[in-house]
Amino acid sequence: MGRRVFLPHPPASRPALPLSITGLRAGASHVTGRTGGAAPGGGWEPGRAAGGDSPVAKLPRTGARGPGPDCPADHPEDTMSLKAFKLVPAVEREMLMGDKARINVECIECCGKNLYIGTNECFVYHFLLEEKISSAGKITFAATKQLHKYLGFKKAVSELKAASALNRLLVLCDNTITLVNMMNLEPIPTGARIKGAVTFTLNENPMSGDPFCVEVCIISVKRRTIQMFMVYEDRVQIVKEVSTPEQPCAVAVDGHYLCLALTTQYIILNYNTGISQDLFPYCSDEKRPIVKRIGRQEFLLAGPGGLGMFATVDGISQRAPVHWSENVIGAALCFPYVVALDDEFITVHSMLDQQLKQTLPFKEGHILQDFEGKVIVATNKGVYILVPLPLERQIQDLLTSHRVEEALVLAKAARRNIPKEKFQVMYKRILQQAGFIHFAQLQFLEAKELFRSGQLDVRELISLYPFLLPTSSSFIRSHPPLHEYADLNQLTQGDQEKMTKCKRFLMSYLNEVRSTDVANGYKEDIDTALLKLYAEANHESLLDLLVSENFCLLTDSAAWLEKHTKYFALGLLYHYNGQDAAALQLWIKIVNGDVQDSTRSDLYEYIVDFLTFCSDQELVWKYAEWVLQKSEEVGVQIFTKRPLEDQVKNSFNPDNIMNCLNKYPKSLVKYLEYLVLDRKIEKEKYHTHLAVLYLEAVLQLKSVTTDNCAELTETQTKLRSLLQKSDFYRIHFILDKIKGTDLHMERAILYGKLEEHDKALHILVHELKDFSAAEDYCIWSSESKDLPYRQRLFHMLLSVYLNPGSSDCELVMAAVDLLNNHAAEFDAARVLQLVPDSWSVQLLSPFLTGAMRESIHTKRMAQITLGLAKAENLIYKHDKVKLKGSPIILSDKKLCQVCQSPFCEPAFVRYPNGGMVHTHCAAKRLVNPNMTHHSQT
Amino acid sequence: MKPDGKVVLLGDMNVGKTSLLHRYMERRFQDTISTVGGAFYLKQWGPYNISLWDTAGREQFHGLGSMYCRGAAAVILTYDVNNLQSLIELEDRFLALTDTASADCIFAIVGNKVDLTNEYALLLETEEENRPEKPVTSCISTKVQKQVHLDDAVALYKKILKYKMLDEKDVPAAEKMCFETSAKTGYKVDYLFETIFDMVVPLILRQQAEGPLQTVDITNYKSAKRTKSGCCA
Repeated sequence: MGRRVFLPHPPASRPALPLSITGLRAGASHVTGRTGGAAPGGGWEPGRAAGGDSPVAKLPRTGARGPGPDCPADHPEDTMSLKAFKLVPAVEREMLMGDKARINVECIECCGKNLYIGTNECFVYHFLLEEKISSAGKITFAATKQLHKYLGFKKAVSELKAASALNRLLVLCDNTITLVNMMNLEPIPTGARIKGAVTFTLNENPMSGDPFCVEVCIISVKRRTIQMFMVYEDRVQIVKEVSTPEQPCAVAVDGHYLCLALTTQYIILNYNTGISQDLFPYCSDEKRPIVKRIGRQEFLLAGPGGLGMFATVDGISQRAPVHWSENVIGAALCFPYVVALDDEFITVHSMLDQQLKQTLPFKEGHILQDFEGKVIVATNKGVYILVPLPLERQIQDLLTSHRVEEALVLAKAARRNIPKEKFQVMYKRILQQAGFIHFAQLQFLEAKELFRSGQLDVRELISLYPFLLPTSSSFIRSHPPLHEYADLNQLTQGDQEKMTKCKRFLMSYLNEVRSTDVANGYKEDIDTALLKLYAEANHESLLDLLVSENFCLLTDSAAWLEKHTKYFALGLLYHYNGQDAAALQLWIKIVNGDVQDSTRSDLYEYIVDFLTFCSDQELVWKYAEWVLQKSEEVGVQIFTKRPLEDQVKNSFNPDNIMNCLNKYPKSLVKYLEYLVLDRKIEKEKYHTHLAVLYLEAVLQLKSVTTDNCAELTETQTKLRSLLQKSDFYRIHFILDKIKGTDLHMERAILYGKLEEHDKALHILVHELKDFSAAEDYCIWSSESKDLPYRQRLFHMLLSVYLNPGSSDCELVMAAVDLLNNHAAEFDAARVLQLVPDSWSVQLLSPFLTGAMRESIHTKRMAQITLGLAKAENLIYKHDKVKLKGSPIILSDKKLCQVCQSPFCEPAFVRYPNGGMVHTHCAAKRLVNPNMTHHSQT
Repeated sequence: MKPDGKVVLLGDMNVGKTSLLHRYMERRFQDTISTVGGAFYLKQWGPYNISLWDTAGREQFHGLGSMYCRGAAAVILTYDVNNLQSLIELEDRFLALTDTASADCIFAIVGNKVDLTNEYALLLETEEENRPEKPVTSCISTKVQKQVHLDDAVALYKKILKYKMLDEKDVPAAEKMCFETSAKTGYKVDYLFETIFDMVVPLILRQQAEGPLQTVDITNYKSAKRTKSGCCA
């Protein structure tokens, strides 16, 4: 299906075309055609340029699917650069005919080194063909004539076939196949022959197991008849004759199957069963049929429209057809290529992708055949060999012209021709090369897949990017190189956009492979390269890379990060490499603004956090001052958030820390709070210290602000809370400090702590007139104390309210409220004695109700308790009786105390006095009220 | 690698057989040139390899059709919805080619190029009702009235059944086996091939269970012949 493109170039421009070089040389020097031109074999005759039917150069295009990105239309010569075969002369004209111009080559046969040529003048020539390979790898053939033999007719020799096992050459001449000795060309003495053959063929897949016998199939001179013969060393035997529906023109055999070109169609005929299968029609008038066996059970046929059709013996096509040309004269197979000959060209199509791979101009050819893998082509006057180039070379050529798909298809097909180990090495390399080709075209998906399947050493890819490989890397690119590029600059030709894309690809690729087997052995190179790419691209994954397990090389990476001012990342790198001091130094520089890096806006907090969990004590102490100076509140976290075990073990004990914090009062408060409140260390020193600090802060705030600012309230709350809850500070010391200030509440609390409740309550009631605070005081002071203690406090408060010295109405109201709200906290009897007679019952009714309730409640609770206690006592008594009892042994010797007969059942009755009776006897005696039943077994 | 099943596309030239295959296999539409002879793809479908044969529609290559169809598990008869003749040709020229196909061969009739019809926008709407954004078909005025309707395809399908002497009850329903596609936009192309592959799989299984139909066991063959030739000699 290759498309033919008619080149617009005039013939004069011919030398510029790469198309003809090989073929032209071969043709020019060795084929002297009848046209007598300078290069008759080459097909370049200016005079024919204008001829419509015979274009100067038919340049078939590859690409069976029409124009696509893989075959750029403006570079047709690129697509033709594959050289699958080289045309090499084998037998030159002079050797064959000397000066007899009328001798023509009619047929050829090649068997091992023996080359036979049959001529129109009834001669058979025998040559020995020696293949020579020059030091440059160039293959030449030297033919040495052994002898020639005249067969004695006036007819041409039409066909020759060698049967090497029999040492016989089968010669078809004048419709007769004669057997001659392969070496001396003498007819065999028996004169065995096959008569009446128009043409014949050998069965290459014979059905008889006899190695000294060949199967010959002939198209008979009899109309519509095919005959099968067995040919032995000196005799022939007909085995089968089949008639065909139409006159056959050409035949090929495989096993029992004949593939026949009839007059109007091709068929498959099983000569054993007679079953035939139509393949497809064609017209024998218009063109010569071709029937060529190409392998076990498969044939190649010339189809309509210049198609080479494949068909199996089942009549199925398993491969897509190749599009050669309308007038194909001969076809041959040399895996993976189908070679076809027409009037002007030898075309080479791949069976793998059906594309046209090579075109060799070749004029006046009339024979093209393959013999044991050797493709021979002949004109009337000369014989040439198409030498296949090594597949590796062909693949390399394809890769060179960026025909990746074709190269890969060919490489895969080469598997069957190349030893396994060698193939695998080669195939990997091809995959890698193909990957680089896609890569250069920025087709990264394809490239990645090829790199992966080709198990590419990632460093090959990294080394394309300037400066990415660490200077210490021992990597050397493979030789020969996998691609043609020195570096990325050359590849992208300075296109920044392409460059960026390439870098983005490498980033994702390295990120993918770094944790796989591919990275084994050079993780340092990969991670360092990745770090460099991230840093350069300002990629967020840079930090992820540095904080997780990585193999970035320090010196190389550090220099690069510095160059790209990634100081924060550099710090991480230092840290990862155990150089915390260097890391901190750098980060502090960033915070101080000595160097610029905006990676983290919260870098200070980051440093604090870092120091908190830093196990290097010296380092922490070294930077503690800096941290605290920056922020007392946040900085102190390096001590307060430090893991506990760390604080106990080493120099981070409270004394050392407080020494350090003395200059930073806010930090000190935070730290003491941490010790006292969070860690609940019960040391007088810390508690007092914290209380004093709170107190000082409160006093200081009070002196500067008039209104109740939030900070004051907060500090005061903290102070009160500490004074209330802590039992460890020095009360008198604080009390001294507080005296003479207006911190009444605090004073009350302190008195409370000293158990001087009257003083405290006095302050609260008379100085502060804060009755609810007084009530609260009673409650918290008696927390965790017993009920009488609490009652005592409440009574004390009541007494303060009802102090006969003052008849303040406010206090009276407070007293009433106190009673009514806390009825339960009072001893009602005592209260009733205390309250003035003038108070109405109604005034105190909530109190009285509550007190009554409480009293009844208490009574009932006491009754329940008593009841429960009695019950419990009973249970214990019961247990005691049970434990005191002893076992009773019942045997047939014991007698019932009532009826005096023995027990015959396990059930019995025992009286408390130990007497045992039958159950039925006991039932009769139920009249006795003291009896109780006990059953035992 | 031997394919497990074969699917063949038949139809007049220029109805878009190559484009359909191209759209399905390579996910894109591009101008193709007239197919010469035939071409084929291998498609992995589950554990099976299905070969997809693209045939040449040109009269010149008509003779090759029977060979391509030989042993086919499914035949996709393709026409152009804007060209009535292309449907008629299916019956007149192409149906006979399928005589060589496997006995339980599946037939599908596909009208391609629906994107060129004025019904296409409507089709899209019903097809993609749930899609929040409907593709705006601005060039509605350039569309033409559809020449071949699905009913015509259904009628042809029934004719094929008659020709093959198959009972409608034994084969997939006509409505299921008549498709309208657009290789250009990809409309229902995947649906077409995937429906057919799903139907081909049971056929493959049956063929594999029945033993190799088209494989000749050479070893057996040979030994049988040997005794015979021994007798003759």
